[in-house]
Amino acid sequence: MEKKELPAVGKKKISSDKCVVTGKGNWYFPLSDIYETPDNFTILIDMPGAGIENINIDLQDNELVVNGEVSQEAYTDEKVVYNEYNIGHYHRHFVISDAVNRDKIEAKMSDGVLSLVLPKAEHVKPRKIEVKAE
Amino acid sequence: MNLIKWEKSDPLDSLTHIQREMSDLFDFLSSAPQMEGYVNVEYPPIIVSMNEENVFVRAELPGIKVSDLDVQVVNDILTMKGERKFTPDPAKATYLRRERDYGTFARSIVLPEKVDAEKVTASYKNGVLTVKLPKAPESKPRQVVIKKS
Repeated sequence: MEKKELPAVGKKKISSDKCVVTGKGNWYFPLSDIYETPDNFTILIDMPGAGIENINIDLQDNELVVNGEVSQEAYTDEKVVYNEYNIGHYHRHFVISDAVNRDKIEAKMSDGVLSLVLPKAEHVKPRKIEVKAE
Repeated sequence: MNLIKWEKSDPLDSLTHIQREMSDLFDFLSSAPQMEGYVNVEYPPIIVSMNEENVFVRAELPGIKVSDLDVQVVNDILTMKGERKFTPDPAKATYLRRERDYGTFARSIVLPEKVDAEKVTASYKNGVLTVKLPKAPESKPRQVVIKKS
């Protein structure tokens, strides 16, 4: 794959005209990728700053809700002199279909990227049909 | 010949009209989904903070291996370089949604204070790079004793 330069993308804030935001702090809409392999669907979500202990994933009916909270404790005795982004919590939800085996959803967190692996249900997995000689 | 009646109106009226139009335009623009407005930001966006002892530079760099990150300090210039690699094997995966990006980045900034380049440390946790730069002795605040003569 060719090399290219990473563009700077601003963080998308969840604004209060779309939903009601309660609680302290800003909430952001984290960027995410979804891709499909023969056995799984994988969702990758960028949540820099959120530790494993602060991530909540809930599955309610068809909705997979991901919340990640970011602590700002490090800044207590520091004075910010220059600022290009804001720190805030993350929220995103996904609607999943019957094609996902809900009992076997797995989540991993590494280097600020949450990866959710959603295994496909048996009936949607690709199947090879063999041709029999008569 | 057509004669046009000259309206005796206040010339300021049209200014009021423009003002109203502009205010409508701003309302319209601000109701669009908000991208936080930091114009011409390079990747990675940074936060620089200070306390009495140190200067801190933080950057949100999710999904980068520590071995692909390079931090250097020369005099009072801090350089951060690295690469975010494309994770899944594109031959096997079919993308359904693509928002995250990949690629290389390099950014240099001039630090607000003189720092002790020997003692600079960097850590990478939960996708956030923190560079701690202890201030050089000459830029730390010094108490001046006032002598009474």
